[in-house]
Amino acid sequence: MIQRLMQAQTDDERTLAFLQNFFLLIAAFGFVFYGVEHWVIDHQVLDHWTALIPGWVSLAGAPLAVAMFFSTRKWLTYTFVGVMALAFLTGLLGALLHLVFNASDLGVSLFSISGFLESMQVPYRPVLAGLAHTHVGAVGLAVGLTVWVKD
Amino acid sequence: MIPAFRAATTNTGRALEIVRMVLMFLVFGGMLGYALELYVIGHWLPTFQSQIPFYVTVPGVIFVAWIFFDRTTPWVRIAFIATMLLMIVTGILGAYYHWVWNMEDAGGIDWSFMPAMEEFHGFRPVLAALAYTNMGVTGLACIFRAR
Repeated sequence: MIQRLMQAQTDDERTLAFLQNFFLLIAAFGFVFYGVEHWVIDHQVLDHWTALIPGWVSLAGAPLAVAMFFSTRKWLTYTFVGVMALAFLTGLLGALLHLVFNASDLGVSLFSISGFLESMQVPYRPVLAGLAHTHVGAVGLAVGLTVWVKD
Repeated sequence: MIPAFRAATTNTGRALEIVRMVLMFLVFGGMLGYALELYVIGHWLPTFQSQIPFYVTVPGVIFVAWIFFDRTTPWVRIAFIATMLLMIVTGILGAYYHWVWNMEDAGGIDWSFMPAMEEFHGFRPVLAALAYTNMGVTGLACIFRAR
């Protein structure tokens, strides 16, 4: 990516390469940031094995995002895009699982409006916070899928 | 963003506008999502500070949506950039105050390493507030060199 920025010829190429580098940095930072955040809140010591997923995705995503600064070879870019897609899905799954676990703890049904709203309002297992990985994955996908664009 | 995408004549130009639109859509969704999340977890308290994230969401949502259709009108660009800067400051202030209030709840402000780290993962999440900074920075990047 850095090389792409250095070799850009036109104004659009320079701006696109700059944005790709910038958002790659945000994605890399996001993986480190959310990895630390999950570790700080002891997400990995929770009972259910699915609690380990965001940590593993962060561990895979951060070095891949950093590597993309220095190379955009096919195997690396495809792996990066695959992990970003995984991060995107991880966030969706996280939000769903938070919701299901909240409903289970409260003993309510998600198929009733009151049960759904109650399950959304549990502060120690925030439902929408799970979507943070979806956000980082989407940022990474926006970069990874436009890496090889040429005129 | 949308008019620029439609007017783009090169692959690079189209890709550039797609990246901008995707990221701006994430900011738009993030603003609505975080406001909803904060409301759900009871962040709307009787204090003014706790309501700031809700207030910045109003111009945020309006100007992000506006920029999708018109980024050439000077006052709209200025208002959008000002709103994004406000979001950056909101996130940094939120993180700072979450940390300080965690310390105050624990008996007083102490910036020495161990007590500060202890309250870093106190009741109020310090890093979570920076989501607003992330949205502001993303918004600014999206309008960077956008003609």
